[in-house]
Amino acid sequence: MTSTLNYLPFLNIPAFKVPLPIGISFYTFQTMSYSIDVYRGDAPMQKNIITFGTYVSLFPQLIAGPIVRYKDVAYQLDHRRETLDSFTKGVMIFCIGLGKKVLIANQMGALWDAIRESGEANGWLGSWVGIIAYTFQIYFDFSGYSDMACGLGNMLGFEFLKNFNYPYISKSITEFWRRWHISLGTWFREYVYIPLGGNRKGTGRQILNLLIVWFLTGFWHGADFNFIFWGLYFGLLLIIEKFVLKRWLDKAPAFVSHIYSLFFIVIGWVLFYFSDLTQMWNYIVSMFSFGSDVIGDSAAASALSYLPMLIVAGIASTPLAAKLYGKIKTAKFIWVPQTLYCLGVLAVCTALLVSQSYNPFLYFRF
Amino acid sequence: MKKSKLRLIPMIVFLVFVFSLTVLFFVSPKKEYSSSEKRYLQQAPAFSFAALFSGKFGDEFETFLSDQFAGRNLWVGLASYYQLAIGNNGSNGIYYCKDNYLVNDPCGDGRLSVNTDVIEEFAGKHSEVPVTVLIAPSTGYICSDVLPPVHKQYKDDAYFESFQEKLRDVDFVDVREAFQNEYSAGNQIYYKTDHHWTSYGAYTAYKELSPALGYEPNDESVYEKTSYEDFYGTTYSSSGFWLIPPDEIEVWENHAHDGAVKVTVIEGENRTEHDDLFFYSHLEEDDKYPVFLDGNHAYEIIENAAAASDERLLVIKDSFAHSLVPFLSDHYASITML
Repeated sequence: MTSTLNYLPFLNIPAFKVPLPIGISFYTFQTMSYSIDVYRGDAPMQKNIITFGTYVSLFPQLIAGPIVRYKDVAYQLDHRRETLDSFTKGVMIFCIGLGKKVLIANQMGALWDAIRESGEANGWLGSWVGIIAYTFQIYFDFSGYSDMACGLGNMLGFEFLKNFNYPYISKSITEFWRRWHISLGTWFREYVYIPLGGNRKGTGRQILNLLIVWFLTGFWHGADFNFIFWGLYFGLLLIIEKFVLKRWLDKAPAFVSHIYSLFFIVIGWVLFYFSDLTQMWNYIVSMFSFGSDVIGDSAAASALSYLPMLIVAGIASTPLAAKLYGKIKTAKFIWVPQTLYCLGVLAVCTALLVSQSYNPFLYFRF
Repeated sequence: MKKSKLRLIPMIVFLVFVFSLTVLFFVSPKKEYSSSEKRYLQQAPAFSFAALFSGKFGDEFETFLSDQFAGRNLWVGLASYYQLAIGNNGSNGIYYCKDNYLVNDPCGDGRLSVNTDVIEEFAGKHSEVPVTVLIAPSTGYICSDVLPPVHKQYKDDAYFESFQEKLRDVDFVDVREAFQNEYSAGNQIYYKTDHHWTSYGAYTAYKELSPALGYEPNDESVYEKTSYEDFYGTTYSSSGFWLIPPDEIEVWENHAHDGAVKVTVIEGENRTEHDDLFFYSHLEEDDKYPVFLDGNHAYEIIENAAAASDERLLVIKDSFAHSLVPFLSDHYASITML
């Protein structure tokens, strides 16, 4: 942040390294939620310091969310019931989250790393494959952690709100932000947008409110220029959608709406990833340089090696699996696929995580 | 309707899995050394407040947990086969190839021009001494027929061209064609579970070197070849594909120099002498390649009183030289390896 401020010609603040406590973004917002909800009368004051401490440092969602508003969980802090059924449900959701993180997100991350490494020689298709891999990585990483948090919460008798609702099937950017990081969007709407007046003070004020909220949303993610840029990028798209595009989007065929949304979502992730603005610009240019190679050798080899996982990631981004599961959920034998799934996910994830620490000191390049 | 107790099985399986691994961790004896990784494993770190606050204790404890994880090598194997099953061959840097070959993926060319420049500079500075360069091609380049359908490109041809262009003050020995011919004829030039060339491959390189260095290469029949089984080399160890069968490693001895050979290994202040080119104690281990000249040492001198000439040779090498230099020892009174 100091490097950003130092762009102002008269400032020359020495950068001082403050190690940030883990999860600071999340529990800052949680404690603010407590103060605001109690002030507004949405929840009674918590007199027990241990219960309050539980809320602030609730370990399942401390590090990666979902951001739990105090009023949503106030009752459960003292009155929840841990049952075997909720524990089992928690186990299943936890395993789904674990699978999303280790089996999908980590693989997509490896593909993204490989494509970034071969840099210039990727070709436009290679660059697209790379950022699509990142698009999958960030979703499965984040929603995986959210699922694990919800699952752990269930095991302890809590019911947390869903944080993601298949964001990549959105037909508009407006819809995307109702499906992505729901707890953050809710927090900003309840505690910033509506108190600022929302849409009740005329169009001009509404646009200003939206820009403020999106500036802050970007800033919450990180104090670098690119995050603020990312926030305002979406703020602008949302304003355009609300006032201009809405009519066309409502009438357009589903296929067009999906492509439109995914296109802007994926570009958004380029802005989100690169904190170095030069690198960011170069990457965007490479995505649209149709004159040269379609795809470089190295990128093609990586893309083909990860093709099965890319397809799995694509399918897992849709509610298809959930719908199929919903059909057999109440069957008596459901414990069989559930058990096989849990065991499979646990075994493969353990294997993949252990192998990351496998470090042969071999004299390969000797 | 009464709820069946069977619905609790997923939960039970989950808890059993997590807790049994935890219990196994505490109960099983801690290993000190990993033979497949060739490194010492982290033991329980000593606790002190200083270590805790500097982060050292935390780091060491994390390493301790993963290094002593119950059934570690089994999990590594499972991960490797899983990656293979999902179409990601080469995720750990080793391609699972046909005919039980485990082949390194192509090396990066980051240091290529730096190294070529250094060699050229060295040759320029010492123009009174003839300099010869022999570069070993990659296994994946010569044995390209066993590679999986999806793999990164082996750029050996481009590299060799750049060597020939840049290295003008040296005698560059190009073994590509000889190797390809031998390989097509059905001879095993490279190991299947190791990145080195076989003794046959080294012998082929030895023959190719002879015009540049000016000796008459010995015929194959001069050597007594002894074959040893169960050679699990470097690519095996780092691949995790534990089901691949091992290689055989051959030691080619020329008994004409028995008793006349002396190998001196120098590590810092220590000098040890050995009266054979081959260090048979290494045949007890999985990775038997150090049988050739005792593996990686910074400085070794090989002297042969029964050599054909009294010339001296300096070899600046990597580990491929270990299996090649024994062949050269018949022609030089003294060879210094760095």
